[in-house]
Amino acid sequence: MIGIIVLAIFIAIVIIAMSAIVQKELASSVVLFMGVGLASVVLYFIFKAPDVALTEAVIGAGISSLIFLIALKHLKAQV
Amino acid sequence: MNLKRDISAQTYSGGVLAAFLTVSILNIIMSSSQTLRESVGVELLKLNETEGVANVVTTVVTYFRGFDTLGEIAVLFLASLGIGLMLNKQESISEKQRSSFVLRVGAQLLFPIILLFGVYVIIYGHLSPGGGFQGGVIIASAFLLLLISREDFYIPHSVISFFETLAGVAYLLIGLIGLLMFDIFLSHIIPLDVASMGLLLSGGIIPLIYIIIGIKVGSEMSHIAQNLVKRGEDD
Repeated sequence: MIGIIVLAIFIAIVIIAMSAIVQKELASSVVLFMGVGLASVVLYFIFKAPDVALTEAVIGAGISSLIFLIALKHLKAQV
Repeated sequence: MNLKRDISAQTYSGGVLAAFLTVSILNIIMSSSQTLRESVGVELLKLNETEGVANVVTTVVTYFRGFDTLGEIAVLFLASLGIGLMLNKQESISEKQRSSFVLRVGAQLLFPIILLFGVYVIIYGHLSPGGGFQGGVIIASAFLLLLISREDFYIPHSVISFFETLAGVAYLLIGLIGLLMFDIFLSHIIPLDVASMGLLLSGGIIPLIYIIIGIKVGSEMSHIAQNLVKRGEDD
């Protein structure tokens, strides 16, 4: 049962990551990147690493995506 | 057009690579359920019983690898310093777009809750998942929310540098006092009581170190966020 869930999350991570690359809009790319982080949070939690899961949720899905969004805002202001 | 073709080619090759990695990782996970028992984790769990901290990861990160944390603090400080040098500008806030009502009120509502959650994660770092680094970043994200939503919000540089310096000096002092008294960097200068394992006041200096790391990380990440958000748009 756990194996099936893990397999599904693995495949979802790959699909989300690939669709993040091919997006035309940069903002939706950032949002999909956030989705990769959130899926891996679930994965870490299943593998009994809640510390790593918390770190990934805060850093990977939170701060780094926000920094990407701020950079996007500055890019749009310059162009 | 050429660029677009390159991007899709890279995407497909990356997808093949990712599928290969997924299959191999799954193979490792499925096949290694018998050999997992002979890992280093068992020894760490045994060692952890002598330290009296409920969260094993905390013991490893702040105590067994306490010297690494010193290096990590230095790395974070250098990152903050670099971003400050590159982006810090006392810019005049000119004709900035005012945030919407929902964003402003929502940020005001969420700010104390996120702050409280960050402090909880820091203080309970030796009992539950989380710790100084995660809690510090959560606190910084609370400030980031205010920085995004309110255009007049500004953390004075003196406050940030005060907290940064306080935390850095306190960490070094605790480590050096341990070095002087027991010949071990970051040794337990507060008497350790293994029987109180699981209580809030347990684990010797480990909660103290986590609080210091939380202050340090929180102030530095807030500094980075402020420099990134408040950067002048005219250059």
